[in-house]
Amino acid sequence: MLGILKTIAATLGIAARKPVTVQYPTEKKQLPQRSRGFPVLLWDFEHDEPFCTGCQVCARYCPTDCMTVTMQDNPKYAEGKSPRKKIVDTFYIDYARCMRCDICVEVCNFDAIVMDNTWRSVEMSRFDRQDLIMDLEALLRPSKTGQLKDPFREPMGVAHSGWRPKAEGEAKGGEEE
Amino acid sequence: MAAPAPEHRHELETIDLYINVGPQHPATHGVFRMVLTVNGELVEDCDPVIGYMHRGNEKLPENCDYRQAIGYHDRTDYLAQFNTEWTFCLAVEKLMGLEVPERAEYIRVILGELNRVASHMMWVGAFGTDVGFFGTPFMYAFREREVIQDLFEAVTGERMMYNYFRPGGVAWDLPDDFEEHCRYVIEHVRRGIDDLDALMTDNEVFLARCRGLSPVTPEQAINWGLSGPMLRACGVRHDLRRAEPYSIYDRFDFEIPVGTQGDVYDRYLVRMEEMRQSLRIVEQALRQMPRNGPIMAAGLKRVLRPPPGEVYARTESPRGEYGVYIVSRGGDKPWRHKVRGASFCNLSPLREMVVGNYVADAIIILGSIDIVLCEVDR
Amino acid sequence: MIGDNPWLDGLLRLLVIAVAIPVAVIVLNYLERKVIGRVQNRLGPMRVGPYGTLQAVADTIKLLTKEDVRPHSADRWTFELAPYVVVVPSVVALVTLPLTEDLFVRNLALGLFFILAVSTLSIVGLVMAGWGSDNKYAILGAMRSAAQLISYEIPLVMAAVAVAMVAHTPDGRGTLDLVQIVDGQGRVPYIVWQSLAFFIFTVAALAELYRQPFDIPVAESEVVGGPFVEYSGMRWAMFMMAEYVNLVLLSVLASLVFLGGWNWPLGNQVGPALQVPLIVLKTALFILFFFWARAILPRLRIDQLMAYSWQVLLPLAFYQIIANGLVLVYDWPDVVLGLLSGAGTVAAAYLTYRMVRRPAPLRARVPAAAAAREVSV
Repeated sequence: MLGILKTIAATLGIAARKPVTVQYPTEKKQLPQRSRGFPVLLWDFEHDEPFCTGCQVCARYCPTDCMTVTMQDNPKYAEGKSPRKKIVDTFYIDYARCMRCDICVEVCNFDAIVMDNTWRSVEMSRFDRQDLIMDLEALLRPSKTGQLKDPFREPMGVAHSGWRPKAEGEAKGGEEE
Repeated sequence: MAAPAPEHRHELETIDLYINVGPQHPATHGVFRMVLTVNGELVEDCDPVIGYMHRGNEKLPENCDYRQAIGYHDRTDYLAQFNTEWTFCLAVEKLMGLEVPERAEYIRVILGELNRVASHMMWVGAFGTDVGFFGTPFMYAFREREVIQDLFEAVTGERMMYNYFRPGGVAWDLPDDFEEHCRYVIEHVRRGIDDLDALMTDNEVFLARCRGLSPVTPEQAINWGLSGPMLRACGVRHDLRRAEPYSIYDRFDFEIPVGTQGDVYDRYLVRMEEMRQSLRIVEQALRQMPRNGPIMAAGLKRVLRPPPGEVYARTESPRGEYGVYIVSRGGDKPWRHKVRGASFCNLSPLREMVVGNYVADAIIILGSIDIVLCEVDR
Repeated sequence: MIGDNPWLDGLLRLLVIAVAIPVAVIVLNYLERKVIGRVQNRLGPMRVGPYGTLQAVADTIKLLTKEDVRPHSADRWTFELAPYVVVVPSVVALVTLPLTEDLFVRNLALGLFFILAVSTLSIVGLVMAGWGSDNKYAILGAMRSAAQLISYEIPLVMAAVAVAMVAHTPDGRGTLDLVQIVDGQGRVPYIVWQSLAFFIFTVAALAELYRQPFDIPVAESEVVGGPFVEYSGMRWAMFMMAEYVNLVLLSVLASLVFLGGWNWPLGNQVGPALQVPLIVLKTALFILFFFWARAILPRLRIDQLMAYSWQVLLPLAFYQIIANGLVLVYDWPDVVLGLLSGAGTVAAAYLTYRMVRRPAPLRARVPAAAAAREVSV
């Protein structure tokens, strides 16, 4: 009987502790900065266009093949307003297939795609599977509207993409392949 | 003339009953099916049926390069992800002759051992539910798992499928407040293990269910190919972290808990003690870890192309020996990729372990093996 | 006596009970979930109503609106009457349960006997439920639960009878009248003198209520679903109601017989304003203990359960009765009673320890035929 008495004593102490329940959705725990939601595209406010140039590196490295990207000539380059020769035309990510592995973020040469670390990206339930295929406008929305405040953009995958933040006065481009 | 009366029988004639412990379990083990032949309450035969969770985890990485394949290992053993990623990275590093920097090794050890604690916590919770608790060990265990998963989320961004280790190191560095967060986690989890201990270890009813149930001798364990806590509960002091130290495990001071009878209760005790030892390792690693340093081997190309050859790497995952066998032909994708799942080998002697016990105990024995169906079926 | 008409008086008291039962069931359901939640370090129901108080009401509405399923091949009247046969005896037993000296429907001189005898009739309802479902697993579950209930009824009754034997009354010792049993505990409650009977009563009550560690009949996991597997909606709710009514019944009984009811420690002369909270408090202690036991104990196997009843509890109950009889014959003081009982409690703890540490039964040899048989999938 002693074991059960010990259990009763221990659980009396445990029952007196503050419960650990977080009453979602009225209370939500704070997501860390690195929280990995679904990928979204970043908006370049300086040049008023997406960072993404449609180079398709992310689509090639995606393990689940969930991205479809096309590229177009950048009309703003012709007008001299932007340094990007090409710009993304269409960009579809199927969130139902995406496994949030973060490889697209790692390999992006232009630092244009990040994982959305807000609650919006966690509450992704839809009634219809087709609603989970995000187009370019939906992907740019968190960044454009300012909802995505502080995405996680550590210089990642240095060994694999050869990308690192440009030092002062360094020429553009020149990755090792 | 009436037919002669049948012989007077002294015993009741009985037929054996086939009970299908079907793919959908009330107990949380995944899609696994056991067909039990039952005589009254005694199990006379047990036929495990696997394959419900086969998803091509070995074949599909043959179409992926070495970074994309890491995600598959996450999903093979979805409770001990860091350990499986580690095994794969070890295999590729062996093939390529890579040298992993110090800081990355320590990060791997800390995260791998905390993952071991989380995996054992999950087991304790599910096992408690199997034995008949009304959810109390489940809640305590998951409370601790939440705390550990919060730490993992702070480091990698994900709560379960981390995709964080890379061949040559880890993907990115730890956040600045990692050390104090980790110390908080260790203290919290220590208290949680004490809670579980007080609830279950000396509980008379728990003992009555588990003590002496399906004992396994060391010879049987080695013949059947058991590994991990199943093997150590039988008395065989074999742990890959000591027998073939991989990574930097030779720098840490920890005990290997060993049982005496190999019964279900010993497996429980071994796993509880392993959790405490893992926390010891994490504390030592936190102290010894270099504050700064590279986290990735230098000079790696963007696309990894290991030289032709074959390699088999194995680690001590929470379930046992998890092994990855890769044959490379020099390309950027593995030519042959095979996984040795610990749960598959631990599950093979299920028939020998279950036959002769009662039906209610068959569920408990299955629960004590700690299987993850993805590792069994791959 | 309300009014001068005994019929009106009885009717009004019955009405009070009829209203109190659903309220009690709802309150207890909510409290159980909150208490178990707290033991598990979480909150329990919080959303429906302020702090989740209307959760049980919402569950009742859901159960009422569920489709009433009846298997086609089920034995119709057995299947449909089974819930009532389970509920009604417990409710009838409540009729003679006194809460204070005046708060009862009718107090019988045979009160204790009546309560225990009538509440046993629910077992018939369980077997009816299992048989009427025409489901092989339901029958198995019903047989198991009937076996469990009958096996634990005997030590329960014997423990209660042992106390009734030595209850102090104005004319000697021994009575089955609950009010007199409580009156006799003015100075010392019977838990002190009869600790073994208390232990047996509590453990047997856990088994009667299907609570951990004896909840094989209602275990949702494992292979059989139990006798309730084919029931849905309000019929199933009736079974749950029976469980909570039984809980109240046994808790009140335990606090009357062992803890001194409304009498100890304040005495008989204080008005009902103090007596009612006292007995409610004692009942609440027992109910809390039953909820706690559910949260922290796993389930015993059916053979271990039966072995515990027949090999531990029953001999100890016999011992308690014999000890009580000796004390009555030789007219020893109550202290001797307490000592004999205490020795029995120690023996109970030791026997439990021995049963737990016993090695598992020998594994049966696998017959050669079974080994060679291929099970086709």
